Amino acid sequence: MLNPSLLVPPDVANVEVRVAPVGIALFGSITTKEPDRSLGVFFRKVHEAALAESLTELAVDVRGLSFVNSSAIRLFIDWAIWVSQPGRPTYRLRFVRNPSVTWQRVSFPAIAQLAAAHVVIEDGK
Amino acid sequence: MAEQREPTPPERPLVLMRFRPVWTYIDGVREFCRFFCQTTFKTSDLAERASVVIQETLENAVKYSTQGDDAELELRIQNHGEQIEFSVSSLPDPRHLSTLREELSSIASQTPEEAYVAAFLRAATEPDASSRLGLARIRHEGRAELSLEEEPGGRIRITATGTLC
Repeated sequence: MLNPSLLVPPDVANVEVRVAPVGIALFGSITTKEPDRSLGVFFRKVHEAALAESLTELAVDVRGLSFVNSSAIRLFIDWAIWVSQPGRPTYRLRFVRNPSVTWQRVSFPAIAQLAAAHVVIEDGK
Repeated sequence: MAEQREPTPPERPLVLMRFRPVWTYIDGVREFCRFFCQTTFKTSDLAERASVVIQETLENAVKYSTQGDDAELELRIQNHGEQIEFSVSSLPDPRHLSTLREELSSIASQTPEEAYVAAFLRAATEPDASSRLGLARIRHEGRAELSLEEEPGGRIRITATGTLC
C-alpha cells in the first residue's frame, strides 16, 4: 500500500492530485508548459514507492481530468514505459478512464499498446 | 454597357484574435474557443475537438515563435458550409521552420490513426518528440487536416480544417 503522507503532490495550476493507498486520482486539467518538471517528478516518486512496497497493481484514476496537453499525455506514456522495463521488478498499471471524454477514450488504447503486458485500461463511471 | 460587379468582400472570420506569444494566454484562448464553438454550433463534440486543435496549434506557435516586437500570434476561426477552419499565424524562429515542414509532411503521409500511434511510439523512445504528438492529436483527436502556408515577412500560418460534426 502507498503511504499518502509520504507522497505530497506538487502545487500545479488547475490540477489536483489525491493519493490513496491503492494509487492516485487526478482532477482538473494539465496544460502547463513542462509538466515533467512537477507532475512527472511526482509520478516517478509514486512509481518508486509502488516498487518499494512491492505492489502488484497501482491505479491512476484520470476520470476527473477534463483536458490535457500533449506534454501531459507524455507523462502517462513515460509511466507505461517505466512499468515495462524488461528484467526489472514491476507492477500492473491500471488507468481508470471515462470513455466519454475524448482525449481519454482515444489516448489510453495507444498508451496500452506500448506496454500491453503491464498496462490495463478500466472504463469507470 | 457591361454590368460592373462589385468585388467580393473578403470573408470575415467568425473569430479573429491577436495576442503576444505567451504561454499563459493559451488556457484562456482555448476556453473561449471551446465556449464559442459550443454556443455557435451547439455541439459539444466540436467544442472538444476545437480545444485540442487550439491548444496544440497555439503551444507550437508559442514554443517556436520569435520574441521580438512583431512576434504577434493571430488566431482565426472560419466556417465554410460544413467545414470549419482554425488557423494560427506566427513568426517562428527560422531554425524551426524546416523541422515543422518535416513533421507535417511525415504526419500527412500516414492515416490520422497510424500517425497518432507512431507519435506515441516515438514519444516512448525519443526524449524530444512532443511536437509531433501535438500535431498527431490535432489530426486524430481533433479530426482535422493540417496545412502550412508561408506568408510575407517570414510569418507562417498553420490551418486545421475539419467538419462541423
